[in-house]
Amino acid sequence: MRAAHHAVPFSLARLGIVAGNTFLEAVRQKLFGFLLLLAVALVASAQLFREFNFGSSELKFIADFGLGAMVFFGSTLTIAATAQLFFSEIENRTALTLLAKPVWRTEFIFGKFLGVFTVVGVFCALTTGLLVGLLYQRETALMAASPEAFAQGCLIHYGDLVLIGVLQWLKFGVLAAATLLIASFSNTNLYTVVMGFFVLVICHLQYLARDAYAQVASLPLRLLVQVLGYVFPNFQLFNVADQIGVGAALDPLVFVRVAAYALIYIGVFCGLAVYSFSRREI
Amino acid sequence: MKSNLANLRPLWTGLTVVAALAATGVLLRPFEQPAWVWVQARQPALRLDSIKGALGQGVTVGLLGGFRAIVADFFWLKTNSVWEDSDLPATQTFIKLVTAIDPRPLYFWQNGARMIAYDMPHWRIAAGGGYEAVPPAEQRRIDREQAEVALRYLHEAFVHHPDSPWIHIEIANIYINRLKDYGAGAEAYRNAALLPGAPFFPARIHAEMLRRLGRNAEAYAWLKSVYPTLPKEVNASKKITQFHVDSAMAPVFLERIRELEQELNIPKGDSFIP
Repeated sequence: MRAAHHAVPFSLARLGIVAGNTFLEAVRQKLFGFLLLLAVALVASAQLFREFNFGSSELKFIADFGLGAMVFFGSTLTIAATAQLFFSEIENRTALTLLAKPVWRTEFIFGKFLGVFTVVGVFCALTTGLLVGLLYQRETALMAASPEAFAQGCLIHYGDLVLIGVLQWLKFGVLAAATLLIASFSNTNLYTVVMGFFVLVICHLQYLARDAYAQVASLPLRLLVQVLGYVFPNFQLFNVADQIGVGAALDPLVFVRVAAYALIYIGVFCGLAVYSFSRREI
Repeated sequence: MKSNLANLRPLWTGLTVVAALAATGVLLRPFEQPAWVWVQARQPALRLDSIKGALGQGVTVGLLGGFRAIVADFFWLKTNSVWEDSDLPATQTFIKLVTAIDPRPLYFWQNGARMIAYDMPHWRIAAGGGYEAVPPAEQRRIDREQAEVALRYLHEAFVHHPDSPWIHIEIANIYINRLKDYGAGAEAYRNAALLPGAPFFPARIHAEMLRRLGRNAEAYAWLKSVYPTLPKEVNASKKITQFHVDSAMAPVFLERIRELEQELNIPKGDSFIP
């Protein structure tokens, strides 16, 4: 069952077919629609929560709230969709049929990844677009009401907001690839989802391990913390949205670095998923 | 033997994956570091010291999800709820928790410090039997203790807002209103006035404090140095609006300068020329 693909060369067309099918399957799922609806509703309702805001400026609060909704529901969608789409192939035995044909496991894994990545891309594009529209509408109204507060010009850099949406998409890509790696050796959907959320939390707290390891007295523990800091990618690196709403801009070089960091991790995680999946009996 | 090796295959695969990820982390660290320094410099909340007060409080998921602002707002509501009950330990804990979760808004630092410095002494005196029962020396000791807690708290804010004049102003007000230390208050107002983007009133109050301390010559020199920098008329090209002109209160500065010239017996010929 593992040697069928040796008969044919690697094909981007076959990879594209797997990706296309994965995408269609994902958008047909209720989960995608449900999470997208929740995220869109939450982003759109950011204005209603203005009265609940004490600390930040109004635009900053809307930006924070909208991006928070995008990150929260986007992460949930990425993990759940990746696990579900992978295991639906295993549980329905379609993977068995598919891989019995001249299809590489690399094509299967990368196809699955691209399908999920496209779904998450649609999610990010819709929520970012909505947030841009909401902020533009509110900033225009505020500028008309109190022009002196905007003497220095617009507070929101809309181009940066789009770039932040792109970075969130790439972060979800890393998360999807990591979830695929877990799925490649896991036996159940539930285990993959739970481990996916653990990875999400660890990657967000990875920076604490980096800061903390120097303060750990015990040498073995210090080494362990240091290794953990290297094994998991740093998801807080994608947290560049703090400047949005206060008139500051995103450094383009930082954007390029973070994007390249994500793309390298996507490649590594997908490569390892292929390696792990190729050693698995299905 | 072969089956033993086959049994070890998942372990070998797992170790290979971990080793590859660790190697990737090591190789990418120099590439990632400049971007991480940039991100961290703009978000002091992304530091271990900042976050450790907030972890384990059931807010981690909120922070991870990106809802830092709204989680902090929720705890600020909670702070006000316990503040209404004059619950000192809870209020103090929540004040610190809010700024640990979201140290960006000055509002939290300013109002938290006010609760600690201005409200908590009254709660402690009330708990001791009220102003009639607590001796004045004890009242002053309580005032001093709470003011010191508030000042320590505000100094923590400098980690997140090193260039904010409003933190200096808050510190100055505590020195003046709670500790009656006009010297330290004057110094804090001076620090505020010297920061870029500072409002104009700290410069004026610094001079007033110097006058109160009898340091009229210093106050006179300070006002003379500040006056030329004040906006006196609207200038669109320099982005000076009517609001800037009104809030600068240049005529009041000049009035104080003239008063000090009289008090210091400055000869007419040596008087300040605007």
